[in-house]
Amino acid sequence: MPSRSGMHSRRFTLRTRGRSTAALGLASLLVLSGCGLSGGQSASTEQVADTNERIVVDNFRAPVANWAPESDAAYILSLSGCLETLTKYDSAQGKVVPFLATEWKQTSPLEWDFTLREGVKFQDGTELTAEAVAGSLNHVLKAKVPARAFSPSVVSGVQAIDAKTVRVTTPVENPLVPFRLASVNTGVLAPAAYAGATVDPFGHCTGPFTPVSEKAKQSLTLDRNENYWGGEVQLAGGEVRFITNGATRAAQVQTGEADISLSIPASALSTLENAPEVSVLKADSPRTATLYMNNGRAPFNNVDFRKALRSALDLEALAASVYEGAALPAAGPYAPSEPWAASDASSPKQNVEEAKKLLAAAGYTPDKPLEIIAIVERAEFADVATVVQDNLKNIGVPVVIQAKEYASAEPDVLAGNYDMILSQRNRLIDIADPIGFLTADYTCKGTYNLSHFCDEEYDSIITEAARTSNSEERYKLYAKAGQLLNDQAVNLWLVNEQATDAIRSNVMFYVQDPLSRYVLTAQTAKSGS
Amino acid sequence: MITFLAKRTATLVAAVLLSSFAVFLIPYVTPGDPVRKIIRSRVAGDIVDDATVRALGESLGLDDPLPVQYLRWLGDFFTGDMGLSHISRTPVVDQVMPAMGITLSLVIVALGAAVVVSLPLGIVAALKQGSRTDKLITTVTQSFIAMPEYWLAPLLVLLFALKLSLLPSAGWNTASSIVLPAVTLALRPISFFTSAVRSGMIDALEAEHISAARARGLSHVQTVMRHVVPNGLVPLSTLFAVWFAGLLGGSVIVEVIFAIPGMGRLLYDSVVNSDIPLAQGGVVVVVALAVTITTLADFLHRILSPKVSGALA
Repeated sequence: MPSRSGMHSRRFTLRTRGRSTAALGLASLLVLSGCGLSGGQSASTEQVADTNERIVVDNFRAPVANWAPESDAAYILSLSGCLETLTKYDSAQGKVVPFLATEWKQTSPLEWDFTLREGVKFQDGTELTAEAVAGSLNHVLKAKVPARAFSPSVVSGVQAIDAKTVRVTTPVENPLVPFRLASVNTGVLAPAAYAGATVDPFGHCTGPFTPVSEKAKQSLTLDRNENYWGGEVQLAGGEVRFITNGATRAAQVQTGEADISLSIPASALSTLENAPEVSVLKADSPRTATLYMNNGRAPFNNVDFRKALRSALDLEALAASVYEGAALPAAGPYAPSEPWAASDASSPKQNVEEAKKLLAAAGYTPDKPLEIIAIVERAEFADVATVVQDNLKNIGVPVVIQAKEYASAEPDVLAGNYDMILSQRNRLIDIADPIGFLTADYTCKGTYNLSHFCDEEYDSIITEAARTSNSEERYKLYAKAGQLLNDQAVNLWLVNEQATDAIRSNVMFYVQDPLSRYVLTAQTAKSGS
Repeated sequence: MITFLAKRTATLVAAVLLSSFAVFLIPYVTPGDPVRKIIRSRVAGDIVDDATVRALGESLGLDDPLPVQYLRWLGDFFTGDMGLSHISRTPVVDQVMPAMGITLSLVIVALGAAVVVSLPLGIVAALKQGSRTDKLITTVTQSFIAMPEYWLAPLLVLLFALKLSLLPSAGWNTASSIVLPAVTLALRPISFFTSAVRSGMIDALEAEHISAARARGLSHVQTVMRHVVPNGLVPLSTLFAVWFAGLLGGSVIVEVIFAIPGMGRLLYDSVVNSDIPLAQGGVVVVVALAVTITTLADFLHRILSPKVSGALA
């Protein structure tokens, strides 16, 4: 039996859609044989990196919070090759690996000590010291709107023990502290970054690229960090553009205005897949489009009824039609690529006869139509709702669709005054571990339990997982929890969304990150034009 | 004239205050908690802790009664302070003014181009009223009305950026960046402007003073240039002002598609994110500018149109 990390590496394999059938065939063979490409985009033999080249990346998000590290701006600083953290989650290895810290250990039930890497300097020339790291992390900890991964509810404090050791204290025993220190929100900046009223990352990161100028709401320009601790940087610099419109990002990589465009919309996929000089890369993302059901009220409080709805859905058709192949039918609450997913999980098949039998067993009568809320922030949900409506009509369950902004639907959904809502969640929103998601979304006291599901057995599994240090053991518990959710048909997990990026053919050594945390690295290169 | 000026100034102030109050209320009258929306725009997750919501609301003064909040903002505004953005915590004025500069540039270029194109088209259509040329101009320009920006913009990108590689597909970096968004914004005004110039000129051509001018021995060209064209410009001045005012805050689709950090996008984002000070500051600036422009257009209308100035005198 392969190790978990091995399985993980195989499952997080990058899928590249080139135009060569032979290449596709070879890639498929590698995937099936378990060799994998380890998420890397290797350069062709003819290409030679030109260290004078600059790169343009189209990002889907613009910074809104004036580069506050506790905000989502941290993702932009991280993907730009500026902001670095003490640890890093390596998707290919499926584990937390050293970054600015070289090692760490749990010194007591509530304390973790991190040893800093030698020879690291901030881009302003000052040294990476334990004092600087503690100051940076405490700044995040004291933020008015704290980062989910590193807030006072999970971390009590950070202090420098000596010049190169940082101690992180937790309020309760927590085996996931190294995961938390991999969150981009815990990126470390030089003390000078905090001198003013707002945080200034310019010249204060440790990464391979240093930001030199910003056009508000437009772009961030970066130059190579000549003194990068992690080796020679292969690009002279780059520009990260903030382009929120997906079609525009797709057009820019096609025209060559951008070298890398992140998060390509499904509607642009077929065009890009046929475009010369462009490759479309896909990887499983930790997001599953889900039809949440209100387990707290009839008819959804009957497991047979929920299972009947599941049997009524044709997920393959849904993925192929609405998502145009940019998503895969879901097999449960996790994507199959996640290391805690059951190895034998498969997508439920449509079975109308079984659905009708289950409906009869549930004693369902269509007194009034049920309501699906399709949130307007995700344009495709209008079509998804229509497909679901049609599938359910086939088994005699009438459904009406309500289009609403999420913010307007949320109060009713949290209060339990709804039937069904289409939404999606990032399972790794806090850290590269699903504990936050599984706790908030499905435990009896979960703060985001939209399904109003409550099960003692499930809660005890999650409680045990939260205090299990061994990853293998913890992942087994997550798998057990996922199985329980699936057995109870708590929600209808529809499709696993794919992270889809597009790159120009002269981009070398690009490694796709499904969470868009790492895009520009010291190794990212471009061949000469 | 002084009475007219005083009335229009009072209207301007009233419009600014009313619109700022209306925008101030939006986050409170739409469903969902404004503080949760603010937090969500900073950290795009779904989980918002109740304690964080309470603390942030308190620190931003959002727990105070609405009239108190509004009067506090109004007081600050009259001392020249538009406040801090709830999300970025930077001065509102630092975000509004650059965005307004960008949108003004875009709108001036777009409407300038629309005038340059529609003036000759309108004049020719009027002078050749009922001819094939008139019908062609009318049909083509009227068809622009049916071209919404969200359809036209990708079409122009496809043609001029992707197929012909002549222009950038998006951004606000070089002079060429303005071409596609300006053309997208210009097409519909061209339709209205051409129609207005044509109608104004046809009215002028049929007026009695034209016959009198001809009877005085003026040539056809002299008559048209001195008496017809200026009359054709009267409706154009009003339309221009109305479009200008509308596009200041209404260019959001074009700004999103072409990744332009202008006023439309700023206002849209501020309302969606419940960034109340930013929305208020943005709306005040847009409304003040829009009302000023329409007031100036009224003046111009009075100067150009003897009928109006006579009626108001």
